[in-house]
Amino acid sequence: MAARVIVSAADVAGLRRVAEAARTLDGVERVEALALTGDDVVLAPAAAAVDEVATAVGGLADVVLACPGGGALRGDVWAAALQEAAAGGVDAVFLADAPAAREAAGRLSIALGAACASMCDEVTVDGDGALLVRRSVYGGVAAGTLRLGRSPAVCLFAAGVCEAAEAAPAPIEQRAAPAVPWDVVIVAEDTVEKTVDLPGARRVVSVGRGFQKADDLALAQPLVAALDAELGCSRPIAEDFKWLPKERLVGLTGSSVTADLYLALGISGQVQHLTGIKGARVVAAVNNDPKAPIVRNADYIIQADLYKVIPALVAALGGAS
Amino acid sequence: MRIIVCAKHVTDSTEIRWDDERGEVVLRNLPTKISDYDRNAIEAAVVLKEQGDDVELEVVMVGGEAAVKTLKEAVAMGADKGYLVEGGWDDPFDPVRGARVLARAIEAIDDADLVMCGLVSEDGYNGITGAALAQLLERPYLAPVVGLEPGEETVRATLDLGDVLRTVETPLPCVLGIDSSMNVPRLPTVLQVMKVKGDRVGTLKLADLGLAPGALGELAGGVELAGLGSSAVERKRIVLEGAAEEAAAALVAALKEEGVL
Repeated sequence: MAARVIVSAADVAGLRRVAEAARTLDGVERVEALALTGDDVVLAPAAAAVDEVATAVGGLADVVLACPGGGALRGDVWAAALQEAAAGGVDAVFLADAPAAREAAGRLSIALGAACASMCDEVTVDGDGALLVRRSVYGGVAAGTLRLGRSPAVCLFAAGVCEAAEAAPAPIEQRAAPAVPWDVVIVAEDTVEKTVDLPGARRVVSVGRGFQKADDLALAQPLVAALDAELGCSRPIAEDFKWLPKERLVGLTGSSVTADLYLALGISGQVQHLTGIKGARVVAAVNNDPKAPIVRNADYIIQADLYKVIPALVAALGGAS
Repeated sequence: MRIIVCAKHVTDSTEIRWDDERGEVVLRNLPTKISDYDRNAIEAAVVLKEQGDDVELEVVMVGGEAAVKTLKEAVAMGADKGYLVEGGWDDPFDPVRGARVLARAIEAIDDADLVMCGLVSEDGYNGITGAALAQLLERPYLAPVVGLEPGEETVRATLDLGDVLRTVETPLPCVLGIDSSMNVPRLPTVLQVMKVKGDRVGTLKLADLGLAPGALGELAGGVELAGLGSSAVERKRIVLEGAAEEAAAALVAALKEEGVL
């Protein structure tokens, strides 16, 4: 029975997501949201003051534990703060996925002797009070159920959406700063300008190995423009050939889309990729291989040479407007 | 400087299929290899060895007896030596146990200044092992590493945190999670793999790690796979026939009908 659950995340949306997952779990009596505070800002969840965090988890969490976390969000400090918050007994810790959250989850699992599961889509409780985690397994080939037969359990949730709700803010409780036995000094920091939003895009045009060379990707541009779409790609394009930056990667190790239209150009449809397009409403594919897995996983398929189909699509769209 | 890279022998994830009739994942008789992400970690370590004066590089391979060939390939990328850890505990869904066994293996070989891991493994995609290992070894963990500059007593690494590239410095020893965007791993030739002689690959029995055969259960993280189902989303699978122009016009019409244009 997961009577006491601690939740934390690197951003407000993630915190609401894990707080809601905890609140709706059978047998939960108390949900505590941990916020790591910095010198003058909240580190996790970021871009919020502590009272904004309290408002965000109103109705979901019983209390916000405000814990000094130093100058920048660090997984080791986060894990130590969670470990101290867990003192006195906790049944589960829910975190939303982020690089620092993975470090916190890994460290905390060892420190608490906990069962640990990543990529959780959904968590429920079985008849014996053990947590059941639903997640994609084998690179997205199947949907698996993992049973966490040990308490406490540490669950790292995949990114998800959670609507804001109207409720009274949760009360805030100050905690002491945790200690970590080493320094991680920030030497330099460069903000990366985010120009790509694949999860939020309404239309996505994605390119794959059907393009024979990097220069040929330019062929897709007029189609991207005509559809007012975001450009995405499959794993070989981003990770093997590096023709496009990883921020454009759709799939298990990149972004998952929620678009109305997903158009796959020359993408075979490996499971890792299909995992990322499950949330698309309509999937269309251009691929000249009738045996490509994408064919069984698309709503509309054009089985022809993409080098001929793309200009024809641009023309058809131009004629339509 | 001593470096140990942790690598995993996995089934090629692009070959794994869901069998709809039997309702199971088909894993038998499929090609195996080094987990892609671990090849990035080995490459990063080999580059450090090439650049440094006195760098000793060893690979600890997870995956049982079948992984000898994979281990030789990993060593052929440029490591001095490779160790295969006796299997039976490499459940992709229990990264905590994996980390506990790896920590013992690293201590058994002789500790390293840098322990390097791929950010995730190709079978479990958990992204937990490196951090859990760092906690067990009681040292800092830096990830996802996209740039690396080791010093005498510290290491400087650039981390890709999505919205920010942060360069940090921390004392050695330390554990690193290498991001796949950091490099393009070299592919050793068949000849290079053949040249890896027996004295460059060793085996670590569980007894070498101070583990009795039954002790694996005690190290378990308490996670078990309780069920599997299809992950497929039902799609319409309508093939639009005709020449490029004809098919394109049909697609545009269909998408308008769907209300997505």
